[in-house]
Amino acid sequence: MTNEALAWLPARQQQVFRRLMTAFSYPGRVQSLEGAEGNAMRLILGTLVDGACTLSDIHHLLERDDRRRLGARMCSLEVADFILAPGTQVLEGTPRLGSLENPEQGATVVLAVSALGTGVCLNLQGPGISGKQPLRVSGVDPAWWTQRAEWNAHFPMGVDFVLVSDNAVAALPRTTLVTMEGAH
Amino acid sequence: MGYVAIKGGGRAIAGAESAVEALRCAEGEQGTPLSLSAIEQQLRLLTSRIVSEGGLYHPRLAALAIKQMQGDTLEAAFALRAYRSTKPRLMDLPVQDTSRMRLIRRISSAFKDIPGGQMLGPTNDYALRLMRLDLAHESAEDFRAVSRRFLDGIPDANLPDTYPKVVDALREEGLLPPLTRRAHGAFDITRDPLVFPVPRSAALATMARAETGSLLAIAYSNMRGYGDVHPTIAELRVGYVPVMVPHPVTGEPIEAGEVLMTECEVVAMYEGDTTDGPPTFTLGYGACFGHNEVKAISMAILDRALQKGMRDGPSNPSEDPEFVLLHVDGVDSMGFASHYKMPHYVTFQSDMDRLRTTQDKATAAQSQPEGAQP
Amino acid sequence: MNPGYELPLDEAGYSFGFLDEYAKREVRRTILKAICIPGYQTPYASREMPMGRGFGTGGLQVTLSLIGEGDTLKVIDQGADDSVNAVNLRHFVELTCPGVDTTEHTAEATLIQSRHRIPETPLTEAQVLILQVPYPDPLVVVEPSEAKRKVMHGEGDYSRLLTKLYEDIVQFDEITISHRYPTRINGHYVIDPSPIPRYDVPQLHQNRALVLLGAGREKKIYAVPPYTRADPLAFDDVPFRTEDFTDDHGQRRACERCGATDSFLDELIDDDGHKHWQCSDSDYCNSRLTTQNAQSTGVVAGVADQEVKA
Repeated sequence: MTNEALAWLPARQQQVFRRLMTAFSYPGRVQSLEGAEGNAMRLILGTLVDGACTLSDIHHLLERDDRRRLGARMCSLEVADFILAPGTQVLEGTPRLGSLENPEQGATVVLAVSALGTGVCLNLQGPGISGKQPLRVSGVDPAWWTQRAEWNAHFPMGVDFVLVSDNAVAALPRTTLVTMEGAH
Repeated sequence: MGYVAIKGGGRAIAGAESAVEALRCAEGEQGTPLSLSAIEQQLRLLTSRIVSEGGLYHPRLAALAIKQMQGDTLEAAFALRAYRSTKPRLMDLPVQDTSRMRLIRRISSAFKDIPGGQMLGPTNDYALRLMRLDLAHESAEDFRAVSRRFLDGIPDANLPDTYPKVVDALREEGLLPPLTRRAHGAFDITRDPLVFPVPRSAALATMARAETGSLLAIAYSNMRGYGDVHPTIAELRVGYVPVMVPHPVTGEPIEAGEVLMTECEVVAMYEGDTTDGPPTFTLGYGACFGHNEVKAISMAILDRALQKGMRDGPSNPSEDPEFVLLHVDGVDSMGFASHYKMPHYVTFQSDMDRLRTTQDKATAAQSQPEGAQP
Repeated sequence: MNPGYELPLDEAGYSFGFLDEYAKREVRRTILKAICIPGYQTPYASREMPMGRGFGTGGLQVTLSLIGEGDTLKVIDQGADDSVNAVNLRHFVELTCPGVDTTEHTAEATLIQSRHRIPETPLTEAQVLILQVPYPDPLVVVEPSEAKRKVMHGEGDYSRLLTKLYEDIVQFDEITISHRYPTRINGHYVIDPSPIPRYDVPQLHQNRALVLLGAGREKKIYAVPPYTRADPLAFDDVPFRTEDFTDDHGQRRACERCGATDSFLDELIDDDGHKHWQCSDSDYCNSRLTTQNAQSTGVVAGVADQEVKA
């Protein structure tokens, strides 16, 4: 079976989910995804998304076949559960932030970055992190971090991020405080 | 070493299982196993109840569940519901039309006569509840003769399968508000959790597979005075509703089969809403799988009560959606009641610690004379 | 009814882990949001399982959505692997998850599902603890309406809960909550940590492992992420206290089996009416005993070696 077909198998999705859950539990720690073959995005979405979800993919980061297989309902970024976006370009518009009673309605942004582990250094603090955690990312417009801080200014509302490179993933829950290296 | 830790949990469970089986087959040499067909047919109302509370239309499996669980309705519904949980969903069907029901029974309390007439059908409503002792020694020949005689006596006259609905006549006259098309699809309680306030479709779906006794008790509280519904049954129907499925290629609706259902429409006190025009009666709707009239009636009354509660705020428990909808599911309630039988000794140890500490403090305080200096 | 209908005896087999992939994905999405909002009771549909609500279906759905080949699962109830409920759940996982190992040793497990206890052995970053929850919401005691409770939780407004605790103190001079002690996570949401004893609550604070809590009947999943603050509610002058295992002479009781003075003890009454005390955590107790036995034989071996050398 090709690696592509393997991506859709339940056993593979279970393994990928465990990596993803580790990424969320320990924000900023990069998790490599073996067998991603340059398409970690497909693996990540396959483990989370199906017909019960809504998806926004304005920049067509997903191949048409993958979109079809996921079965998610496509919609605008303002109402979507999951938003696919390139790290190089901030969103035009505001994603769902959730409400006081239902903060889980806040969207999940799946950000396509060029690399994890190299590039600009971010300093992370918060739940899941003992002390401080550095995270190096390339291919992300710094305006994203400003946007993110605005959206997440009123806990519990907020947006959660999954950073996906070709073969690896890292996560930034809304509770993670992100400061750029050298910033105060 | 002193006391040895208790062991043998696995063996105890295995022992319990064989004890249950032994009781099920306790007739021993004198016994014959119940056939699923006998349960499904001769205990048809019990089977209906399990189909409805299990939330899966499969009368033969419901009969199996009844046999396996030795008649415990809560356990049988549970087994069927758990089975249902494992079945993949093939498609979502469009809304089905109960006016196409192939009727076996249909009555209206609101009118003396209705188009097609009052069809009593198979009901015990007007029977005298005297024990039929002849059933104690029913022979196979007598049993078989009953259906032979009944089918022989069927008149040739061809009755229509269905009749117009009474509520449609009331709507035409403007006594009931017109039907409105819903903007969204029905709420799916098997996929989404109830987060209050919930839409009416969520309430109806929850009640459709609720435990009959639970629904009845709360509906009864409303009937007796903890509520304002004062219902009249516009129509109660029992029969077979065709299940229309879109053809996979042409998309044309085709009949995949039929399901036995009970449907009750109740007309209640009129509401005058000056902004919406003249006052009308209000409608309560109840429907469930199988032949279960008490459940459909209770459901219709509660539908009305909950609609009122959702609009004006609840003034009694039967009007409170959280109170009603979170407590009528038999699988949830029975599971939790039963869970108290599980070991709770760590939590109890914790309770004893608290009580002992509190008692110690109380005793210490008592032994201090009033106003004494420490 | 079709009189010729026969029940298909060979129904399609269950998928790995019993739940279908849609159910698992829904649980997985819920778990991630729960981690992102520490302590928030995240709603999910919650499938019916073949064991009763109240018997751990919530914890089980979490476990089944996480577990895969290569995992080693430990299941305990009241701290014991051999407790009937634990045996039943473990058996179910063995049936539906081929390729998964089970163990009684906390240190060997990758996933630990537990009812009413956190294991005595500290957890590592390679482990996940899943607690079974009957009542997820600590505010139920002061507010019956879920809609109202959600607003209170969202605002972090626990004044009515604190008032209730205060009333206890006024009446009894103590906070009388024994297990299910309300605990504030990451400075915002107060959770019901499940019916673990107060003794175990401090383990939630800054744990190396992720702790997930699953309520099946109530259809909620919540989480305490690793390295996160978990503060049991208390007052400046009435501190949080764990269970007291001191005897009448002021001595901390020890487990009669392994001698531990640092574990939660079960109180047992024998046929003669005498009380005995033993570790609730069976693996902790067994491991201590094994070490003690090994040490006593080891001493003999050491002496023999020395004699040979000389």
